Amino acid sequence: MSGIEKQLREIDKLNTLQQRDQWMNRRHPLVKLCLTVVYIIFVVSCHKYQLSTMVMLAVYPFMMFNFADLSLKDAIYRMRLILPIVMAVGIFNPFMDREVVMELGNITLTGGVISMITLMLKGLYAVLSAYLLIATTTIEDICFALRRLHMPKILVTVILLIDRYIYILGQEAERIMTAYQLRAPSQKGIHYKAWGPLVGQWLIRSMERAQVVYESMTLRGYRGEFSYGKKRKLTAPDFLLLTVWLVAFVVIRKGF
Amino acid sequence: MKTGTEKEVLHIEDLSYAYEKDVPVLKHISMDAKHGESIGLIGANGVGKSTFLKLLVGLNLGYTGTLSVAHHPMNKENLNHIREHIGYVFQDSDNQLFMTTVEEDVAFGPRNYGLSEEEVEERVQEALRLTHIEELRDKHIYKLSGGEKKLASIATILALEPDIVLMDEPSVALDPRNRRHLINLLNEMEPMKLIASHDLDFILDTCERTILMWQGTIVADGPTKEILCDKKLLESHGLELPLRYYYENV
Repeated sequence: MSGIEKQLREIDKLNTLQQRDQWMNRRHPLVKLCLTVVYIIFVVSCHKYQLSTMVMLAVYPFMMFNFADLSLKDAIYRMRLILPIVMAVGIFNPFMDREVVMELGNITLTGGVISMITLMLKGLYAVLSAYLLIATTTIEDICFALRRLHMPKILVTVILLIDRYIYILGQEAERIMTAYQLRAPSQKGIHYKAWGPLVGQWLIRSMERAQVVYESMTLRGYRGEFSYGKKRKLTAPDFLLLTVWLVAFVVIRKGF
Repeated sequence: MKTGTEKEVLHIEDLSYAYEKDVPVLKHISMDAKHGESIGLIGANGVGKSTFLKLLVGLNLGYTGTLSVAHHPMNKENLNHIREHIGYVFQDSDNQLFMTTVEEDVAFGPRNYGLSEEEVEERVQEALRLTHIEELRDKHIYKLSGGEKKLASIATILALEPDIVLMDEPSVALDPRNRRHLINLLNEMEPMKLIASHDLDFILDTCERTILMWQGTIVADGPTKEILCDKKLLESHGLELPLRYYYENV
């Protein structure tokens, strides 16, 4: 299986997670989106030395992963490209901030180490909460929630179309790669001389296909804005979920 | 196989079209079609079948002559209204299906036309029932087989309840069972159908009338059996007899 095919399968798996009939999947997308945004704000606004608060804030992703019946291992695997970048942000802090702020027995912790850990946790939590949202909510539902929050329709449509066209781009790239490899069996990877024509072909074919998909949409009444699936109403469990977590976030921030 | 009633849904008179000036792709085409009729559109590669279909749904404008769909002249102003009456099934189902699940894709059109959720649900159920794919309702588009994708594509069009259904090579990539299934489905369908195909046996099974195109013009228009039995006519226009007649003649 080629690398691209593997990535397409990963997208498929994520789509399957979104389609599950699970308690968390059934929650109103607006609630899940708001909860994610609020949680990320709480996380990133924590002071760099508030390690105990950061540790307590882990309760949200870990509990919700459990509720949503999601695998943390799979989440970390799928986010493996982003996580190192996000977590590398604070890597130089221990060299810059050498002031001792805590002693645990014989171990002295400098401000730099604490802030590095805090920054790493911030990145990790933000990525996990975003994963929690996309693994339990379809892109149509997320777009529906964004429109409810009055995000401009052009932006929301762009988000939706990016989601659609990523798959088309991936499929075209996979076809071109397979055709190339079948005719260059002894070649490892793609020869640098073939990169230009292949990328050109990829772009032209993807654009052509995108054009046909667009025509198909216009022929079925598309006039510049998607109708984002069934209109849902907020239910008691939605309110309960939102309230419980908002209270929990405030308590954690004030209490620790 | 259903035959047409008297209600005219398509009227074309002296239609010509060119992508580039002085290089006409379609020349002086005239035809009418009635509700319920099933018409096969045949011709060798490059004779203008796909261009003709695209003109009928307004994907290509700038033609000369008369073209009216459901009594509305084809022009920019009427385009949205006309498209409510016409469904186009693409050759490649991957281009037709773009939502996450079969249900979402089938509901896409009715929702865009502003139907209530109850009406959308009814349309989806009926379209899935007609195509016998109720069990695929929640299935992810990317997990469908070729035959399932074709049926789902047709369901997306049936949900619009069109007066006219245009199909570009509907039998391509179907296994024998799905092909038979599609033939039965087309023979049960109410709207007028215009089916462009190289699969002449498929045309024999689904259409009572056939139009033969050659170099951008209509060279024959008549009962399918008469046209598809005419070896001389077919061979002089780049085609061959359907397989079932071909072996009788060998």
